[in-house]
Amino acid sequence: MKDPASRSLHVAFAALGLAFLAIFSWVLFSEGVADWRTTQTRFRALETTIKNPHQLAAAASVGGLRQIWLPELDRVDRCVTCHLGIEDPTFAGAPQPFSSHPGTWLATHPSDRFGCTPCHDGQGQATDYRNAAHQPQPFVTRPMRPLETIEANCGVCHRAVDAPDAPRLDEGRALIVQSGCFSCHEIPGFDGLTFHGPALDSIGFKVRPEWLRIWLKDPKSYLERSKMGNFRLSNDEITGLQAFLLSQRVIVPLDSTTIDWPKADTSNGRALFGELRCVSCHTVNGRGGTMGPELRRIGDKVRRDWLFSFLKDPHRVQPETAMLQYRLTDDQRRDLSAVLLDEYRAGDTGPEPPPVAYQDARAVAAGRAVFERRGCSSCHRLGSMKQAGRIGPNLAGIADRNPDELVFGNANVRHTADNYIFLKVLHPDALLQPSLMPTFGFARIDAARIALALASIRKTDLPSSYVRTRPPPPPNRPAGQFGELVTRYRCLSCHSIGGFGGDLSTVPLDRIGSQLKHDYVVTYLQNPGAVRVSVEARMPLFHMLSEEATTIADYMSTVLLDDAVDRYDAMFTAAEARRGQELYAQLGCAACHQMGTAGGYVGPELSHTGDRLTPGWIAAWLTSPTTYKPGTLQPDYGLSRTDARALTAYLSSLGTGERSPRAGGRP
Amino acid sequence: MSRLLRRACGVILVLPLSLTAGCGRRATPPSDAVVDAIRAEERVGNLSYSEGQGKHLFAQYCATCHGDEGHGDGQNASNLNPPPPDITTSKNARDAAYLRRVIAQGSAATGRSPLSPPWGRSLSAQQIDYLVAYCQALTRTKR
Repeated sequence: MKDPASRSLHVAFAALGLAFLAIFSWVLFSEGVADWRTTQTRFRALETTIKNPHQLAAAASVGGLRQIWLPELDRVDRCVTCHLGIEDPTFAGAPQPFSSHPGTWLATHPSDRFGCTPCHDGQGQATDYRNAAHQPQPFVTRPMRPLETIEANCGVCHRAVDAPDAPRLDEGRALIVQSGCFSCHEIPGFDGLTFHGPALDSIGFKVRPEWLRIWLKDPKSYLERSKMGNFRLSNDEITGLQAFLLSQRVIVPLDSTTIDWPKADTSNGRALFGELRCVSCHTVNGRGGTMGPELRRIGDKVRRDWLFSFLKDPHRVQPETAMLQYRLTDDQRRDLSAVLLDEYRAGDTGPEPPPVAYQDARAVAAGRAVFERRGCSSCHRLGSMKQAGRIGPNLAGIADRNPDELVFGNANVRHTADNYIFLKVLHPDALLQPSLMPTFGFARIDAARIALALASIRKTDLPSSYVRTRPPPPPNRPAGQFGELVTRYRCLSCHSIGGFGGDLSTVPLDRIGSQLKHDYVVTYLQNPGAVRVSVEARMPLFHMLSEEATTIADYMSTVLLDDAVDRYDAMFTAAEARRGQELYAQLGCAACHQMGTAGGYVGPELSHTGDRLTPGWIAAWLTSPTTYKPGTLQPDYGLSRTDARALTAYLSSLGTGERSPRAGGRP
Repeated sequence: MSRLLRRACGVILVLPLSLTAGCGRRATPPSDAVVDAIRAEERVGNLSYSEGQGKHLFAQYCATCHGDEGHGDGQNASNLNPPPPDITTSKNARDAAYLRRVIAQGSAATGRSPLSPPWGRSLSAQQIDYLVAYCQALTRTKR
């Protein structure tokens, strides 16, 4: 008896069996003609044309699947199945996929420790071109990075340190530090860094009301390189904030009614402006330093009493300022204020309005609410407000956020975390999402560099042996009389001690006592001249007292020392000095260094070196310049001990006898 | 029963088809904004990655004398005798091995004046390779 059901079952099983057979044979067949097999055949053919028979015999036979297993990183990279010449320099310039790895990357990142995908991304386990995601593929979250963005992966291991040979990453990180992104966001790798806008406790006394409005509307309309972003405030919000801020009046400026303003001598003020070297820190007319605010339109911004008080005692009026306290008379301050207010402004701003006693309590309260909601206190200290903490989201693991969960709005970009960060940094409100983040107005390239730096912040934790970090240096604030002078003259705005302080000066002070001669320091501080002819930023003219200069020099020559430099036998023979002079000519030192009027002006002028530098330092510097200053233009000639000593003898002999260095100004 | 099987087969067949259809939906591929921004900045004069890196290094270490574009017109060039050569027209600059030697060991190593110093101890081999690539790019573009 035939059951129709069992018959159709038989047929079904037969069909299924055939299907399985077909699939099985297909698998066998496709494995036999797999991409990587044909690739390996091509490689062996190429190898015979590139290598001579001797090398061929020595070459290890390649065949079968090859892979690099990195248990610590939880990766299996089979890229080397096809990239067979990757470690073989004889394949330099061979067609892909056989070319050897460009550059010297594999020497510093051996493939058995780093594999391929930790740097390049892509699907390491795949063995054909498409599945390895050489190009972006659907459903592949991390296809291979193009060289343009590959530095993001350098940053995964090289955290918070300068990554060698990754300039875009370094620039991105520098931009994050300059812009103070970590004031609002917690960003791994930037812990412990702080960023401050000016404290606002007494802003009611400081600025003109109409300026404040312009600034709040769009800071860049007043100051092109403003670090503050545009908060896209409505007119009502601006009115509120303006009222709230102008009601902040804690530190009363000095009373300048006793000053005879009509007698202000602007020509003297102008001369002072040059003499004090204000432009080392402040930009005017497109030139000058960037440490202090640009002064091009300062007359539109600040009130006269405030400016006068600030010049008299900057640290009382604005305790966190980087500005040093000059030793000036009241008349000089008057002249300087008058020049700044009269000459550096957009047009006739009219008479100065009296300090407003804003009493519109409702506007003040509304402004206070805006101040809190937009997280202004993340950057600006204001006594009456509690610190809001970080108002923005934590950026830990931002590079691993699932692109499918991110909102891209109408932007026609590939949905990746990189592109999301980029667009967000560029136009925070453009992604069809309400955003509290201000628009910083970054150039596209800068936004890309920031995105690249942030794209290196991954969720996955690496084994510690892979991670390169540098612990943040402990703050070193010198105490005592020296400390007071350092505070008064704000030395640490430009110089650093123990990694703490500014970097405007390329000379950290950690071993300055072993570098410079005591007498030179005393004279130089009282009348700082230019050591490097071509450098525009100069030490300001402090009008420092000679006791103060001596205190500083004493401290330097007893505390800020380096034993390795100090222990140097400085008894030179005349023969050594003669040999040094020959070497000076032989090595072509004059290409960069001036001596008198002859020679280049890349490095410092050298004709008074003996008065300026200690022999130990000259020798140490000549022997190993990059140790003391990475990236320096001083070449390392690989001098022998004897040659370094001879050059030191010669340079130390220069200028001896004259106790004073060349004084002030351009030569 | 057979109907059931047929239906199952149908589902199995249709499912992958619809998935592939979903993938191919987008007509113009979307751009990669970060890569485009970096390219727009760095691929001036069609420089490759290595050449672009070399350009940075050149600006830092070489341009003071050799000039930004390698014409030998840097701000310090007037102080030098002999003056720095114009790299864009130099025959030697086409020779990678020569360039590598002159950068790493200084011009004295090639029997010329000692005015161009050796950078072999300050720069990594990688960095010197980048510089070589950029110098060769300068001869290629001949701006």
